[in-house]
Amino acid sequence: MGFLRIDGASYTYPPDETVVNGVDWAIDQGAFHCLVGRSGCGKTTLLKLAAGLLPPSRGAVHIQDAPVTEPSPQVGFVFQNPTLLDWLTAMENVLLPVSLKRRPRVADRGRAAELLALVGLAEYAGRHPRELSGGQQSRVAIARALVNEPLVLLMDEPFAALDAITREELQADLLRLCASRRTTVLFVTHDIAEAVYLADRVAVMAEGRVRDTLDIDLARPRAPDLRYSPRFNELCRAARQAMDAA
Amino acid sequence: MGARLWTYGLLAAFLGAWEAGCRITDISELILPAPSVVLTTLWHGLSTGYLLPHIWLTGAEMLLGLAAGCGIGFVCGIVLGETAFLRRVLYPYIIASQVVPKLALVPLFILWFGFGMTSTVIITALICFFPLLENTMTGIAHIDPQKRELFRMLGATRMQTLFRLKIPSGLPVILAGLRVAVVLALVGAVVAEFIAGREGLGAMIIASQGMMDSPQMFALLVVITALGMLFYQATLLAERWVLRRHMKGTGQ
Repeated sequence: MGFLRIDGASYTYPPDETVVNGVDWAIDQGAFHCLVGRSGCGKTTLLKLAAGLLPPSRGAVHIQDAPVTEPSPQVGFVFQNPTLLDWLTAMENVLLPVSLKRRPRVADRGRAAELLALVGLAEYAGRHPRELSGGQQSRVAIARALVNEPLVLLMDEPFAALDAITREELQADLLRLCASRRTTVLFVTHDIAEAVYLADRVAVMAEGRVRDTLDIDLARPRAPDLRYSPRFNELCRAARQAMDAA
Repeated sequence: MGARLWTYGLLAAFLGAWEAGCRITDISELILPAPSVVLTTLWHGLSTGYLLPHIWLTGAEMLLGLAAGCGIGFVCGIVLGETAFLRRVLYPYIIASQVVPKLALVPLFILWFGFGMTSTVIITALICFFPLLENTMTGIAHIDPQKRELFRMLGATRMQTLFRLKIPSGLPVILAGLRVAVVLALVGAVVAEFIAGREGLGAMIIASQGMMDSPQMFALLVVITALGMLFYQATLLAERWVLRRHMKGTGQ
């Protein structure tokens, strides 16, 4: 079961520093899961195992029942930093995944322009990264991750460096984009409110293991002022207690 | 603008003091010719066309040496930067080749390649090789690890990672190496001509010394300085042009 499946995955940095220790996890197609935990709990490493950027020391990762052994074009990855190339325009950055495979066609450019419009940057296609704000750079990075229409999107604290208001805007945009494409998402964060707002299910990690699981029963689509509802705060408190217990 | 005014003012003050000093002390032209005398000599050399072939020759030697040295340095920098094994094997040799005073090799090169342009170009190339090698290796080695992972995630080949990530990212550092090489190239060409040249600005300095023609030596120094500044400014312009896309949004 599960569209993305992590089966007993472990990762040990040589010589014997085990950062991910026997994690089992499954995500259904179109579901949005968040991994929360303190710094150094192994959540980024787990994400890299799911991406095929690191090979698991034990266990395996499957996407649609096919084992993940190397980075796959079906998987989009958004890093902590926007990781845009300074010498390319926003449009060229979004097209990078395409242009590494072949010369971008008119249809590719159309798709990239559409994605830039969806993240609210239609007028900024010709700008270079340093001419954009931090939030705008993150938006370009998300558009780039989606340009090949991946089935799975893996995100490693992509909004951690942004101010609170920009972060909330990007969270709303991300939910909208992923819902419309039925993208399966695994999102790493240390921000409990972010996890509760975004996710269908939250995994609490500590010392390389998943210590607790929370199902988020908030209705979708999620409005921004959901954050002030009693249920939201209850869930945040529950997640916080789970983290403290772990 | 204020700073530039000061720069020129300082030059004028320096030349004025020099000229006045020469006139007041009535010092021999052989020891220290006054700026006016140097200028007259320089003008004579330029207007009669006497200096021009030497300027061309030194300029050509410098450019050829620069192109060869930088080209080879760049390619070697990429090869060594990309293959850790070769780097470990060859780097001690490269260091050794750099601590040898290269100008001390000129007599040997005269033996192999004869007097004249070939020896000078080879020395200049040897001098320009190292800054480019070093900066290319550094430039392509220090890439944001997340960007490397991005390229892995996108399934980029090694060549694509090199040409579309590493070299463009390293370009500012590589071009800083070029700027260093340009300065060294002129020194290399002129000093190599001291020993290996029959023509060219360096050879002219030695000839002037032989004739005890101090004003001409100073005139040649002025020409060499001007040539160096010209090349340096041209490099800055070229650098700005190459990096024009990198610089977008930095306010430069």
